[in-house]
Amino acid sequence: MKDNRWLQRLGDELAQVWTVTVKDMKIYYLFPGMIMTGLLSPFFMFFSFSVQRGMGATQGIARLLAMTIFFTAAAAGPFIIPLERRLGTYDRLLAAPMSLLTLLLGKTAVGAVLSIAVSAVSLAVGVVIFGASIAQPWLLAAGVLLGSFSFSALGLIFGSIPTRNPGDVAMPSLLLRWGLLFVSGVFIPLGEMAPVAQALAYLSPLTYAQDLMNHAVLGRGAVTAPLLNPWLDLAALLLMGALFLLPSVKMHQRSRKLGY
Amino acid sequence: MHGTTNNTIKAENLTKYYGDLLAVDHINFEVRQGEVFGFLGPNGAGKTTTQRMLTTLLEPSEGHMVINGHDLARDAYPVKRQMGLVPEESNVYTELTAWDNLMFTARLYRVPRAKRAERARELLEAFGLWEKRDVKAENFSKGMRRRLSIAMAIVHKPTLLFLDEPTPGLDAQSARAIRNLIRQLNVEGTTIFLTTHQIEEANRLCDRVAIINHGQIAVIDTPERLKRAFQRVQSVEVALEPDGQAHGQPLAALQGVTTSVKMGDKWRLYTEDPSALLPQVMDYARSQRLRVVSLSTLGPSLEDVFLQITGQQVGTVRHETREGKPRRRGARGQRGDRR
Repeated sequence: MKDNRWLQRLGDELAQVWTVTVKDMKIYYLFPGMIMTGLLSPFFMFFSFSVQRGMGATQGIARLLAMTIFFTAAAAGPFIIPLERRLGTYDRLLAAPMSLLTLLLGKTAVGAVLSIAVSAVSLAVGVVIFGASIAQPWLLAAGVLLGSFSFSALGLIFGSIPTRNPGDVAMPSLLLRWGLLFVSGVFIPLGEMAPVAQALAYLSPLTYAQDLMNHAVLGRGAVTAPLLNPWLDLAALLLMGALFLLPSVKMHQRSRKLGY
Repeated sequence: MHGTTNNTIKAENLTKYYGDLLAVDHINFEVRQGEVFGFLGPNGAGKTTTQRMLTTLLEPSEGHMVINGHDLARDAYPVKRQMGLVPEESNVYTELTAWDNLMFTARLYRVPRAKRAERARELLEAFGLWEKRDVKAENFSKGMRRRLSIAMAIVHKPTLLFLDEPTPGLDAQSARAIRNLIRQLNVEGTTIFLTTHQIEEANRLCDRVAIINHGQIAVIDTPERLKRAFQRVQSVEVALEPDGQAHGQPLAALQGVTTSVKMGDKWRLYTEDPSALLPQVMDYARSQRLRVVSLSTLGPSLEDVFLQITGQQVGTVRHETREGKPRRRGARGQRGDRR
């Protein structure tokens, strides 16, 4: 009987994750702020740094996918949570019968699902129109999935800052994302980096996502060769995604003390 | 009220500091199952802070809360399933239609799939929003959003409903509809925790009221018992012609009048002994060749009680605490008297 209650509770919590996600997808995916930071930013950044550099379609796809999952997934949390706090709708979620972790997983899934969808469109355009080829499709799918959740959890850290003003969160969130972009082997391959820069790169989750995209799209022996074991990349993304949820939980607990 | 003496809410030593500011000061109270419990207080008294702690939105600095037998600090989940919350600002999703708002909340509160649509329709019809079910809430008036917000709070038929200032800013028709709904929900067995600064609303709706001031509960009782306890706040109300408004000062100077307040075209004279004041008023009218349009004696209203307790103006004498000491909010270690 007790086991049944536990299972029932688990089922309820999982259903709540999806309920929160679907609601946010309906409301926020077409918000101008989300379109700007989540959809247009990665493409602008990609074209700014990649055109006229003699890059092939396949290599371009590996880079675009890494940038897309990074920017798009991390855009949702910093935008949605402070906005909902300001509108009072976040209280509705906090008072609802679900754990804080469930709510945070729901919010994480919002960015992750958007990132997966945008990545799929980018990939389809690359393959169908530009004739790009994919070396390891299953690795690509796993990388996009794990990378999207990991980066969305990273964005959630900023969304968890106790504030009701999305503007307070946007600046530090963007600064971190841009900073990571330049030290993660996206524009300069890891192998060409100075040892200090390389050490810094290993602290960035984007490094593992880019390396994984290189594995999945280019395969070994390509110009921008992957450096790490793909299983290490996957494990790093999974571990970092889980770790990123911890500060969010702590900051939400602090918000509950402060009254946000 | 519905007979039983089970407590739905029990708050013990509940305290909230914001930094050094003491917002709620070690309060204790119980809400009985099936009653409408009014939580009254002036702005900034600690009403909303208390309600946010009871609804798990805010963590108390000290004390603990038991709701429906569950310690809120240990296991809030079963409590959350049984409670509904209508905050001061209608927090509906303006980008969603009325229907989608209700269906989302129904899913959030695990209303069985087969009953969601039926319940949503029932509520939309009851709240006069059925015709607007496919309209986004951003196009709703304030009253419509308020009704939708309440419908969302009761979609799962909660046993305990928190309402924070449910009627201010609404037209008379919407406010009356919401008051009727509160009565109806209570008749059906829902315990209501009503936070308000509208005294007359509390007087009409509540089985018991608590008056909170400066973060402390000054008194808890039924409205009628509170009024009886403040019999000294009685008054004589008189309308004189011609030019009755010009006679405020001499009327206030009559023996036994503690305060005079202009109430439209009338003067209300507060006194502990209306029977001694009435002949004086008549004598004054005769001496000034004034016609007495109306003359009546009034017992203390809940508003009088509230103002007396909270030390506010209008027709009351100066407020003192039970111990005759001033209450205060302040830094840790500088608390005023406690209950």
